[in-house]
Amino acid sequence: MVDKDTSSAGEIVPAEKTGTISRRQFFTGVGGLGVGIVLGGTLFNGLLLPDEVIAIPASQGYLLVDSKKCQGCNTCMMACSLTHHGVQSLSLSRIQVIQDPFAKFPDDKYIAQCRQCADPKCVTACPTGAMHVDTETGVRTVDVAKCIGCQECVYACEFNVSRAGWNFEEKHAQKCDLCLNTPFMDAEGGPGGQQACVAACPTGAISFVSEIPVQSDAGYEVNLRDEGWAALGYPIDDEGKVSPAEAALAE
Amino acid sequence: MQRELLFDSATWLVWLAPLLGVLAAGLTTRKDPVVKGDRVLRHDRAAIIEHWTHGIGTTVLLVSGIALGVWFLPALVGSGDPVWTMMDVHFGAVLVFLFGTFYYGTNTLLATKRFREHLPTKDAVEYTKRHYGLLLGFKKFTMPPERKYFESEKMAYILALASTVTIIITGLLKVAAHVMDIPAGVMAIVTPAHDVATVAMLAFFLAHVFFAAVLPMSWPVLRSMFTGYVDLEYAKHEHAGWLAQLGYEDARTEAAVDETAA
Repeated sequence: MVDKDTSSAGEIVPAEKTGTISRRQFFTGVGGLGVGIVLGGTLFNGLLLPDEVIAIPASQGYLLVDSKKCQGCNTCMMACSLTHHGVQSLSLSRIQVIQDPFAKFPDDKYIAQCRQCADPKCVTACPTGAMHVDTETGVRTVDVAKCIGCQECVYACEFNVSRAGWNFEEKHAQKCDLCLNTPFMDAEGGPGGQQACVAACPTGAISFVSEIPVQSDAGYEVNLRDEGWAALGYPIDDEGKVSPAEAALAE
Repeated sequence: MQRELLFDSATWLVWLAPLLGVLAAGLTTRKDPVVKGDRVLRHDRAAIIEHWTHGIGTTVLLVSGIALGVWFLPALVGSGDPVWTMMDVHFGAVLVFLFGTFYYGTNTLLATKRFREHLPTKDAVEYTKRHYGLLLGFKKFTMPPERKYFESEKMAYILALASTVTIIITGLLKVAAHVMDIPAGVMAIVTPAHDVATVAMLAFFLAHVFFAAVLPMSWPVLRSMFTGYVDLEYAKHEHAGWLAQLGYEDARTEAAVDETAA
Protein backbone atom coordinates (compact mmCIF):
# COMPACT_ATOMS: atom_id res chain seq x y z
CA MET A 1 0.00 0.00 0.00
CA VAL A 2 1.27 3.46 -0.82
CA ASP A 3 1.38 5.80 2.13
CA LYS A 4 3.85 8.39 0.94
CA ASP A 5 3.89 10.89 -1.89
CA THR A 6 7.15 10.93 -3.80
CA SER A 7 7.87 14.14 -5.65
CA SER A 8 9.63 14.09 -9.00
CA ALA A 9 12.66 15.67 -7.38
CA GLY A 10 13.00 12.62 -5.18
CA GLU A 11 11.82 14.44 -2.10
CA ILE A 12 9.85 12.26 0.28
CA VAL A 13 6.67 13.97 1.47
CA PRO A 14 4.98 12.32 4.46
CA ALA A 15 1.34 11.48 3.81
CA GLU A 16 -1.22 13.34 5.89
CA LYS A 17 -1.86 11.51 9.11
CA THR A 18 -5.22 11.25 10.81
CA GLY A 19 -4.81 9.32 14.02
CA THR A 20 -3.29 5.92 13.43
CA ILE A 21 -4.02 5.68 9.69
CA SER A 22 -3.07 8.06 6.94
CA ARG A 23 -5.59 9.78 4.72
CA ARG A 24 -4.38 7.65 1.80
CA GLN A 25 -4.88 4.45 3.76
CA PHE A 26 -8.38 5.60 4.66
CA PHE A 27 -9.42 6.27 1.04
CA THR A 28 -7.80 3.09 -0.22
CA GLY A 29 -9.70 1.18 2.45
CA VAL A 30 -13.01 2.88 1.64
CA GLY A 31 -12.56 2.23 -2.10
CA GLY A 32 -11.53 -1.40 -1.62
CA LEU A 33 -14.28 -2.14 0.88
CA GLY A 34 -16.89 -0.44 -1.30
CA VAL A 35 -15.85 -2.39 -4.39
CA GLY A 36 -16.06 -5.60 -2.38
CA ILE A 37 -19.51 -4.78 -1.04
CA VAL A 38 -20.91 -3.87 -4.48
CA LEU A 39 -19.48 -6.99 -6.15
CA GLY A 40 -20.49 -9.24 -3.27
CA GLY A 41 -23.95 -7.72 -3.05
CA THR A 42 -24.50 -8.10 -6.78
CA LEU A 43 -23.48 -11.74 -6.71
CA PHE A 44 -25.66 -12.43 -3.66
CA ASN A 45 -28.62 -10.63 -5.17
CA GLY A 46 -28.25 -12.33 -8.56
CA LEU A 47 -27.49 -15.86 -7.47
CA LEU A 48 -28.99 -16.44 -4.04
CA LEU A 49 -32.14 -14.34 -3.73
CA PRO A 50 -35.32 -15.71 -5.35
CA ASP A 51 -37.11 -13.71 -8.06
CA GLU A 52 -39.47 -11.08 -6.74
CA VAL A 53 -43.16 -11.92 -6.92
CA ILE A 54 -45.44 -8.91 -7.32
CA ALA A 55 -49.19 -8.97 -6.65
CA ILE A 56 -51.07 -6.20 -8.45
CA PRO A 57 -54.52 -5.24 -7.15
CA ALA A 58 -57.39 -4.86 -9.63
CA SER A 59 -58.64 -1.44 -10.67
CA GLN A 60 -61.88 -0.24 -9.09
CA GLY A 61 -63.15 1.01 -12.43
CA TYR A 62 -63.14 0.38 -16.19
CA LEU A 63 -64.37 2.11 -19.34
CA LEU A 64 -66.63 0.23 -21.73
CA VAL A 65 -67.13 1.59 -25.22
CA ASP A 66 -69.51 1.14 -28.12
CA SER A 67 -67.56 2.09 -31.21
CA LYS A 68 -70.68 1.49 -33.34
CA LYS A 69 -72.46 4.19 -31.41
CA CYS A 70 -69.56 6.60 -31.75
CA GLN A 71 -70.16 9.45 -34.18
CA GLY A 72 -66.50 10.45 -34.36
CA CYS A 73 -67.07 13.93 -32.92
CA ASN A 74 -63.92 13.66 -30.76
CA THR A 75 -65.68 15.40 -27.88
CA CYS A 76 -64.34 12.73 -25.51
CA MET A 77 -60.78 13.47 -26.61
CA MET A 78 -61.25 17.20 -26.19
CA ALA A 79 -62.81 16.68 -22.74
CA CYS A 80 -59.96 14.39 -21.70
CA SER A 81 -57.30 16.85 -22.76
CA LEU A 82 -59.16 19.82 -21.35
CA THR A 83 -59.74 18.34 -17.90
CA HIS A 84 -56.23 16.94 -17.56
CA HIS A 85 -54.16 19.66 -19.23
CA GLY A 86 -56.38 22.70 -19.56
CA VAL A 87 -56.10 22.72 -23.36
CA GLN A 88 -58.08 21.13 -26.17
CA SER A 89 -55.57 18.92 -27.95
CA LEU A 90 -56.33 15.66 -29.69
CA SER A 91 -52.69 14.67 -29.21
CA LEU A 92 -52.83 15.06 -25.42
CA SER A 93 -55.97 12.99 -25.01
CA ARG A 94 -55.59 9.69 -23.19
CA ILE A 95 -58.58 8.20 -25.02
CA GLN A 96 -58.22 8.00 -28.79
CA VAL A 97 -60.91 7.69 -31.46
CA ILE A 98 -59.44 6.15 -34.59
CA GLN A 99 -61.39 6.88 -37.75
CA ASP A 100 -60.94 5.32 -41.18
CA PRO A 101 -62.63 7.46 -43.85
CA PHE A 102 -62.31 4.68 -46.41
CA ALA A 103 -63.99 2.00 -44.31
CA LYS A 104 -67.73 1.42 -44.01
CA PHE A 105 -69.82 1.05 -40.87
CA PRO A 106 -69.18 -0.67 -38.50
CA ASP A 107 -65.45 -0.67 -39.24
CA ASP A 108 -65.02 3.06 -39.73
CA LYS A 109 -64.49 4.00 -36.09
CA TYR A 110 -62.69 2.49 -33.16
CA ILE A 111 -62.43 3.83 -29.62
CA ALA A 112 -59.09 3.01 -28.01
CA GLN A 113 -59.42 3.39 -24.27
CA CYS A 114 -57.12 2.08 -21.52
CA ARG A 115 -58.39 -1.21 -20.15
CA GLN A 116 -56.80 -0.97 -16.69
CA CYS A 117 -55.43 -4.48 -17.34
CA ALA A 118 -55.33 -7.08 -14.58
CA ASP A 119 -51.73 -7.75 -15.64
CA PRO A 120 -50.63 -4.28 -16.72
CA LYS A 121 -47.60 -4.64 -18.98
CA CYS A 122 -47.02 -0.89 -18.81
CA VAL A 123 -46.63 -1.02 -15.03
CA THR A 124 -44.25 -3.99 -15.00
CA ALA A 125 -42.18 -2.48 -17.82
CA CYS A 126 -41.62 0.85 -16.07
CA PRO A 127 -38.07 0.91 -14.65
CA THR A 128 -38.65 3.63 -12.06
CA GLY A 129 -42.13 2.97 -10.73
CA ALA A 130 -43.49 6.06 -12.48
CA MET A 131 -46.18 3.92 -14.14
CA HIS A 132 -47.77 2.45 -11.06
CA VAL A 133 -50.96 1.17 -9.50
CA ASP A 134 -52.68 3.73 -7.29
CA THR A 135 -52.88 2.18 -3.85
CA GLU A 136 -56.35 3.55 -3.04
CA THR A 137 -58.21 2.99 -6.32
CA GLY A 138 -56.13 0.41 -8.17
CA VAL A 139 -56.04 2.73 -11.18
CA ARG A 140 -52.98 2.28 -13.39
CA THR A 141 -51.52 5.76 -13.69
CA VAL A 142 -48.31 7.75 -14.14
CA ASP A 143 -46.34 9.64 -11.50
CA VAL A 144 -44.98 12.30 -13.81
CA ALA A 145 -42.14 13.34 -11.51
CA LYS A 146 -40.68 9.83 -11.60
CA CYS A 147 -40.95 9.32 -15.37
CA ILE A 148 -37.55 9.30 -17.07
CA GLY A 149 -38.96 9.35 -20.60
CA CYS A 150 -37.74 5.91 -21.68
CA GLN A 151 -41.14 5.10 -23.22
CA GLU A 152 -40.88 1.46 -22.12
CA CYS A 153 -44.54 1.58 -21.11
CA VAL A 154 -45.62 2.89 -24.52
CA TYR A 155 -44.06 -0.10 -26.23
CA ALA A 156 -44.98 -2.60 -23.53
CA CYS A 157 -48.73 -2.06 -23.92
CA GLU A 158 -50.03 -5.05 -25.82
CA PHE A 159 -52.75 -3.17 -27.63
CA ASN A 160 -52.61 -1.24 -30.87
CA VAL A 161 -52.71 1.71 -30.46
CA SER A 162 -50.74 1.77 -27.20
CA ARG A 163 -52.88 2.96 -24.32
CA ALA A 164 -49.81 4.38 -22.65
CA GLY A 165 -49.20 7.58 -24.54
CA TRP A 166 -46.35 10.03 -24.81
CA ASN A 167 -46.91 13.63 -23.77
CA PHE A 168 -44.78 15.33 -26.39
CA GLU A 169 -45.11 18.74 -24.75
CA GLU A 170 -44.04 17.86 -21.20
CA LYS A 171 -41.97 14.81 -22.20
CA HIS A 172 -43.41 12.12 -20.01
CA ALA A 173 -45.66 9.11 -20.32
CA GLN A 174 -49.36 9.46 -19.65
CA LYS A 175 -52.43 7.27 -19.72
CA CYS A 176 -56.05 7.16 -18.71
CA ASP A 177 -56.38 7.49 -14.95
CA LEU A 178 -60.19 7.43 -14.98
CA CYS A 179 -59.91 11.17 -14.21
CA LEU A 180 -58.22 10.54 -10.87
CA ASN A 181 -55.99 13.56 -11.42
CA THR A 182 -57.93 16.20 -13.34
CA PRO A 183 -56.89 19.66 -12.17
CA PHE A 184 -59.19 21.36 -14.70
CA MET A 185 -62.40 19.47 -13.83
CA ASP A 186 -64.71 20.77 -11.13
CA ALA A 187 -66.27 17.39 -10.35
CA GLU A 188 -64.44 14.72 -8.39
CA GLY A 189 -62.83 12.15 -10.71
CA GLY A 190 -61.60 8.61 -10.29
CA PRO A 191 -63.51 5.35 -9.91
CA GLY A 192 -65.87 6.84 -7.34
CA GLY A 193 -66.47 10.02 -9.31
CA GLN A 194 -66.98 11.34 -12.80
CA GLN A 195 -65.07 10.54 -15.98
CA ALA A 196 -64.81 13.45 -18.42
CA CYS A 197 -65.18 11.33 -21.56
CA VAL A 198 -68.24 9.53 -20.20
CA ALA A 199 -69.84 12.81 -19.14
CA ALA A 200 -69.05 14.61 -22.42
CA CYS A 201 -69.93 11.94 -25.00
CA PRO A 202 -73.14 13.20 -26.68
CA THR A 203 -74.25 9.72 -27.76
CA GLY A 204 -73.40 7.78 -24.61
CA ALA A 205 -70.86 5.61 -26.42
CA ILE A 206 -68.62 5.36 -23.36
CA SER A 207 -69.67 3.86 -20.05
CA PHE A 208 -68.05 3.33 -16.65
CA VAL A 209 -68.31 0.05 -14.73
CA SER A 210 -66.82 -1.15 -11.47
CA GLU A 211 -66.62 -4.83 -12.38
CA ILE A 212 -63.70 -6.05 -14.43
CA PRO A 213 -64.86 -6.91 -17.97
CA VAL A 214 -63.65 -9.92 -19.93
CA GLN A 215 -60.15 -9.09 -21.13
CA SER A 216 -60.90 -9.19 -24.85
CA ASP A 217 -62.13 -6.80 -27.51
CA ALA A 218 -65.64 -8.14 -27.01
CA GLY A 219 -65.39 -7.65 -23.27
CA TYR A 220 -64.72 -3.95 -23.50
CA GLU A 221 -66.64 -3.33 -26.73
CA VAL A 222 -70.34 -3.58 -25.78
CA ASN A 223 -73.72 -2.59 -27.14
CA LEU A 224 -74.71 0.61 -25.38
CA ARG A 225 -77.56 1.39 -27.78
CA ASP A 226 -80.66 1.83 -25.63
CA GLU A 227 -84.24 2.96 -26.20
CA GLY A 228 -83.16 6.56 -26.56
CA TRP A 229 -80.83 5.54 -29.34
CA ALA A 230 -83.59 3.61 -31.09
CA ALA A 231 -85.96 6.57 -30.69
CA LEU A 232 -83.57 8.58 -32.85
CA GLY A 233 -84.16 6.07 -35.65
CA TYR A 234 -80.63 4.62 -35.66
CA PRO A 235 -80.05 0.88 -36.13
CA ILE A 236 -79.43 -0.96 -32.90
CA ASP A 237 -77.79 -4.16 -34.16
CA ASP A 238 -74.04 -4.53 -34.58
CA GLU A 239 -74.24 -4.77 -38.37
CA GLY A 240 -76.36 -1.63 -38.64
CA LYS A 241 -79.02 -3.29 -40.75
CA VAL A 242 -81.95 -3.62 -38.34
CA SER A 243 -83.97 -0.47 -37.91
CA PRO A 244 -85.66 0.26 -34.56
CA ALA A 245 -89.04 -0.44 -36.18
CA GLU A 246 -87.91 -3.81 -37.47
CA ALA A 247 -86.42 -4.62 -34.11
CA ALA A 248 -89.69 -3.74 -32.40
CA LEU A 249 -91.61 -5.95 -34.83
CA ALA A 250 -89.22 -8.83 -34.25
CA GLU A 251 -89.81 -8.56 -30.52
CA MET B 1 -39.02 -9.30 -26.46
CA GLN B 2 -38.78 -5.90 -24.81
CA ARG B 3 -35.14 -4.88 -24.38
CA GLU B 4 -33.94 -3.89 -20.93
CA LEU B 5 -32.15 -0.64 -20.20
CA LEU B 6 -28.60 -0.93 -18.88
CA PHE B 7 -29.68 1.45 -16.11
CA ASP B 8 -31.91 -1.44 -14.95
CA SER B 9 -29.91 -4.55 -15.78
CA ALA B 10 -26.49 -3.22 -14.70
CA THR B 11 -27.30 -0.63 -12.04
CA TRP B 12 -24.56 -2.03 -9.81
CA LEU B 13 -21.91 -0.74 -12.21
CA VAL B 14 -23.02 2.81 -11.36
CA TRP B 15 -22.15 2.19 -7.69
CA LEU B 16 -18.94 0.37 -8.61
CA ALA B 17 -17.47 3.08 -10.89
CA PRO B 18 -16.96 5.83 -8.27
CA LEU B 19 -15.62 3.33 -5.72
CA LEU B 20 -13.08 2.14 -8.27
CA GLY B 21 -12.10 5.78 -8.74
CA VAL B 22 -11.54 6.16 -4.98
CA LEU B 23 -9.56 2.91 -4.83
CA ALA B 24 -7.43 3.84 -7.85
CA ALA B 25 -6.60 7.22 -6.32
CA GLY B 26 -5.57 5.56 -3.08
CA LEU B 27 -3.12 3.40 -5.03
CA THR B 28 -1.74 6.24 -7.18
CA THR B 29 1.57 7.97 -6.60
CA ARG B 30 1.56 11.55 -7.92
CA LYS B 31 4.35 13.60 -9.44
CA ASP B 32 4.55 17.31 -8.76
CA PRO B 33 5.29 19.82 -11.57
CA VAL B 34 9.02 20.37 -12.12
CA VAL B 35 11.31 22.07 -14.65
CA LYS B 36 13.23 19.50 -16.68
CA GLY B 37 15.66 21.11 -19.11
CA ASP B 38 13.68 23.12 -21.64
CA ARG B 39 10.39 21.53 -20.61
CA VAL B 40 8.13 21.79 -17.59
CA LEU B 41 6.11 18.85 -16.28
CA ARG B 42 2.62 20.31 -16.06
CA HIS B 43 0.41 17.22 -15.73
CA ASP B 44 1.44 13.82 -14.38
CA ARG B 45 -0.17 10.65 -15.66
CA ALA B 46 -2.88 10.69 -13.00
CA ALA B 47 -3.91 14.23 -14.02
CA ILE B 48 -4.13 13.15 -17.65
CA ILE B 49 -6.31 10.16 -16.74
CA GLU B 50 -8.52 12.37 -14.52
CA HIS B 51 -8.94 14.97 -17.22
CA TRP B 52 -9.78 12.69 -20.12
CA THR B 53 -12.07 10.30 -18.26
CA HIS B 54 -13.98 13.24 -16.80
CA GLY B 55 -13.89 15.13 -20.11
CA ILE B 56 -14.89 12.28 -22.40
CA GLY B 57 -17.58 11.20 -19.94
CA THR B 58 -18.93 14.75 -19.77
CA THR B 59 -18.93 15.11 -23.56
CA VAL B 60 -20.90 11.93 -24.15
CA LEU B 61 -23.24 12.68 -21.24
CA LEU B 62 -24.01 16.12 -22.67
CA VAL B 63 -24.63 14.79 -26.18
CA SER B 64 -26.78 11.85 -25.10
CA GLY B 65 -28.54 13.81 -22.34
CA ILE B 66 -29.49 16.68 -24.60
CA ALA B 67 -30.52 14.29 -27.37
CA LEU B 68 -32.93 12.67 -24.93
CA GLY B 69 -34.45 16.08 -24.31
CA VAL B 70 -33.42 18.13 -21.33
CA TRP B 71 -36.53 19.50 -19.60
CA PHE B 72 -36.72 22.73 -21.65
CA LEU B 73 -34.77 21.62 -24.74
CA PRO B 74 -36.41 19.68 -27.57
CA ALA B 75 -35.62 15.96 -27.73
CA LEU B 76 -33.54 15.03 -30.78
CA VAL B 77 -34.43 11.35 -30.67
CA GLY B 78 -38.03 10.39 -31.28
CA SER B 79 -39.17 7.21 -29.62
CA GLY B 80 -38.45 3.52 -29.25
CA ASP B 81 -35.01 2.20 -30.20
CA PRO B 82 -33.25 5.58 -30.56
CA VAL B 83 -34.37 6.54 -27.04
CA TRP B 84 -33.17 3.26 -25.52
CA THR B 85 -29.89 3.38 -27.45
CA MET B 86 -29.23 6.92 -26.25
CA MET B 87 -30.04 5.89 -22.67
CA ASP B 88 -27.55 3.02 -22.92
CA VAL B 89 -24.95 5.44 -24.31
CA HIS B 90 -25.73 7.73 -21.36
CA PHE B 91 -25.20 4.78 -19.03
CA GLY B 92 -21.76 4.01 -20.47
CA ALA B 93 -20.74 7.66 -20.16
CA VAL B 94 -21.97 7.74 -16.55
CA LEU B 95 -19.49 4.99 -15.65
CA VAL B 96 -16.54 6.77 -17.26
CA PHE B 97 -17.60 10.14 -15.80
CA LEU B 98 -18.04 8.78 -12.28
CA PHE B 99 -14.74 6.93 -12.31
CA GLY B 100 -12.85 9.99 -13.57
CA THR B 101 -14.55 12.45 -11.25
CA PHE B 102 -14.14 10.36 -8.10
CA TYR B 103 -10.55 9.58 -9.08
CA TYR B 104 -9.94 13.33 -9.35
CA GLY B 105 -11.89 14.11 -6.19
CA THR B 106 -10.01 11.60 -4.06
CA ASN B 107 -6.65 12.64 -5.50
CA THR B 108 -7.57 16.20 -4.58
CA LEU B 109 -8.52 15.26 -1.03
CA LEU B 110 -5.18 13.47 -0.71
CA ALA B 111 -3.28 16.61 -1.75
CA THR B 112 -5.42 19.66 -1.09
CA LYS B 113 -2.79 21.93 -2.66
CA ARG B 114 -4.08 20.64 -6.02
CA PHE B 115 -7.49 21.98 -5.08
CA ARG B 116 -6.17 25.31 -3.85
CA GLU B 117 -4.29 25.94 -7.10
CA HIS B 118 -7.65 25.84 -8.91
CA LEU B 119 -9.28 28.47 -6.70
CA PRO B 120 -9.43 32.12 -7.82
CA THR B 121 -7.24 34.59 -5.93
CA LYS B 122 -7.68 38.30 -5.22
CA ASP B 123 -5.90 38.88 -8.54
CA ALA B 124 -8.66 37.15 -10.54
CA VAL B 125 -10.35 40.19 -12.08
CA GLU B 126 -7.17 42.24 -12.63
CA TYR B 127 -5.18 39.36 -14.17
CA THR B 128 -8.05 38.30 -16.43
CA LYS B 129 -8.43 41.88 -17.64
CA ARG B 130 -4.74 42.19 -18.39
CA HIS B 131 -4.40 38.73 -19.90
CA TYR B 132 -7.23 39.00 -22.40
CA GLY B 133 -6.62 42.73 -22.92
CA LEU B 134 -3.17 41.84 -24.16
CA LEU B 135 -4.49 39.04 -26.35
CA LEU B 136 -7.05 41.39 -27.85
CA GLY B 137 -4.30 43.87 -28.73
CA PHE B 138 -4.48 46.50 -26.00
CA LYS B 139 -0.79 47.43 -25.83
CA LYS B 140 -1.01 49.17 -22.49
CA PHE B 141 -1.49 45.79 -20.78
CA THR B 142 1.43 43.59 -19.78
CA MET B 143 1.12 39.82 -19.37
CA PRO B 144 0.38 39.13 -15.70
CA PRO B 145 2.49 36.52 -13.89
CA GLU B 146 -0.24 33.87 -14.04
CA ARG B 147 0.24 30.77 -11.95
CA LYS B 148 -0.35 27.21 -13.18
CA TYR B 149 -3.94 28.02 -14.14
CA PHE B 150 -5.11 31.36 -15.50
CA GLU B 151 -7.30 33.32 -13.12
CA SER B 152 -10.11 33.17 -15.70
CA GLU B 153 -9.84 29.37 -15.68
CA LYS B 154 -10.05 29.37 -11.92
CA MET B 155 -13.32 31.30 -11.99
CA ALA B 156 -14.73 28.88 -14.56
CA TYR B 157 -13.58 26.01 -12.32
CA ILE B 158 -16.06 27.12 -9.65
CA LEU B 159 -18.92 26.83 -12.16
CA ALA B 160 -17.68 23.42 -13.33
CA LEU B 161 -17.33 22.25 -9.74
CA ALA B 162 -20.83 23.36 -8.77
CA SER B 163 -22.47 21.84 -11.84
CA THR B 164 -20.49 18.59 -11.49
CA VAL B 165 -21.49 18.15 -7.85
CA THR B 166 -25.14 18.88 -8.68
CA ILE B 167 -25.14 16.51 -11.65
CA ILE B 168 -23.59 13.70 -9.61
CA ILE B 169 -25.96 14.03 -6.63
CA THR B 170 -29.09 14.33 -8.76
CA GLY B 171 -27.87 11.72 -11.24
CA LEU B 172 -27.24 9.15 -8.52
CA LEU B 173 -30.73 9.80 -7.15
CA LYS B 174 -32.14 9.26 -10.65
CA VAL B 175 -30.28 5.94 -10.85
CA ALA B 176 -31.41 5.02 -7.31
CA ALA B 177 -35.01 5.46 -8.51
CA HIS B 178 -34.44 2.36 -10.67
CA VAL B 179 -33.91 0.14 -7.65
CA MET B 180 -35.89 1.78 -4.86
CA ASP B 181 -38.96 3.91 -4.33
CA ILE B 182 -37.83 7.54 -4.29
CA PRO B 183 -40.69 9.93 -3.29
CA ALA B 184 -42.20 11.78 -6.24
CA GLY B 185 -41.66 15.10 -4.44
CA VAL B 186 -37.92 14.45 -4.35
CA MET B 187 -37.84 13.49 -8.03
CA ALA B 188 -39.79 16.63 -8.89
CA ILE B 189 -36.78 18.60 -7.60
CA VAL B 190 -34.06 16.23 -8.74
CA THR B 191 -34.96 16.15 -12.44
CA PRO B 192 -35.11 19.92 -13.06
CA ALA B 193 -31.94 20.39 -10.95
CA HIS B 194 -30.18 17.78 -13.09
CA ASP B 195 -31.28 19.58 -16.24
CA VAL B 196 -30.31 23.07 -15.04
CA ALA B 197 -26.88 21.77 -13.98
CA THR B 198 -26.54 20.18 -17.42
CA VAL B 199 -27.05 23.53 -19.10
CA ALA B 200 -24.51 25.15 -16.74
CA MET B 201 -22.08 22.35 -17.57
CA LEU B 202 -22.76 22.86 -21.28
CA ALA B 203 -21.89 26.55 -20.95
CA PHE B 204 -18.63 25.69 -19.18
CA PHE B 205 -17.87 22.90 -21.65
CA LEU B 206 -18.27 25.10 -24.73
CA ALA B 207 -16.15 27.88 -23.24
CA HIS B 208 -13.53 25.38 -22.07
CA VAL B 209 -13.25 23.68 -25.46
CA PHE B 210 -12.97 27.05 -27.20
CA PHE B 211 -10.36 28.56 -24.90
CA ALA B 212 -8.43 25.33 -24.27
CA ALA B 213 -8.50 23.61 -27.66
CA VAL B 214 -9.75 25.87 -30.47
CA LEU B 215 -7.71 29.03 -29.78
CA PRO B 216 -4.14 28.52 -31.14
CA MET B 217 -2.66 30.19 -28.06
CA SER B 218 -3.92 27.25 -25.99
CA TRP B 219 -2.45 24.50 -28.13
CA PRO B 220 0.77 24.12 -26.07
CA VAL B 221 -1.34 23.40 -22.99
CA LEU B 222 -3.64 21.13 -24.97
CA ARG B 223 -0.57 19.19 -26.08
CA SER B 224 0.50 18.89 -22.45
CA MET B 225 -2.78 17.13 -21.69
CA PHE B 226 -1.38 14.25 -23.78
CA THR B 227 2.39 14.49 -23.15
CA GLY B 228 2.35 16.05 -19.68
CA TYR B 229 4.89 18.74 -20.64
CA VAL B 230 4.89 22.37 -21.83
CA ASP B 231 7.90 24.20 -23.29
CA LEU B 232 9.85 26.28 -20.83
CA GLU B 233 9.67 29.35 -23.08
CA TYR B 234 5.89 29.07 -23.21
CA ALA B 235 5.72 28.77 -19.43
CA LYS B 236 7.98 31.79 -19.03
CA HIS B 237 5.63 33.89 -21.14
CA GLU B 238 2.22 32.62 -19.99
CA HIS B 239 2.82 31.24 -16.49
CA ALA B 240 5.63 33.27 -14.94
CA GLY B 241 4.02 33.12 -11.53
CA TRP B 242 3.86 29.35 -11.71
CA LEU B 243 7.53 29.04 -12.67
CA ALA B 244 8.40 31.28 -9.76
CA GLN B 245 6.47 28.93 -7.46
CA LEU B 246 8.46 26.03 -8.90
CA GLY B 247 11.65 27.83 -7.98
CA TYR B 248 12.80 28.68 -11.50
CA GLU B 249 15.32 31.49 -11.00
CA ASP B 250 14.80 33.66 -14.12
CA ALA B 251 11.08 33.57 -13.85
CA ARG B 252 11.16 34.24 -10.14
CA THR B 253 13.11 37.43 -10.74
CA GLU B 254 10.86 38.53 -13.60
CA ALA B 255 7.71 37.80 -11.64
CA ALA B 256 8.97 39.71 -8.67
CA VAL B 257 9.69 42.69 -10.86
CA ASP B 258 6.31 42.39 -12.53
CA GLU B 259 4.42 42.13 -9.27
CA THR B 260 6.24 45.20 -8.00
CA ALA B 261 5.27 47.05 -11.17
CA ALA B 262 1.66 45.90 -10.86
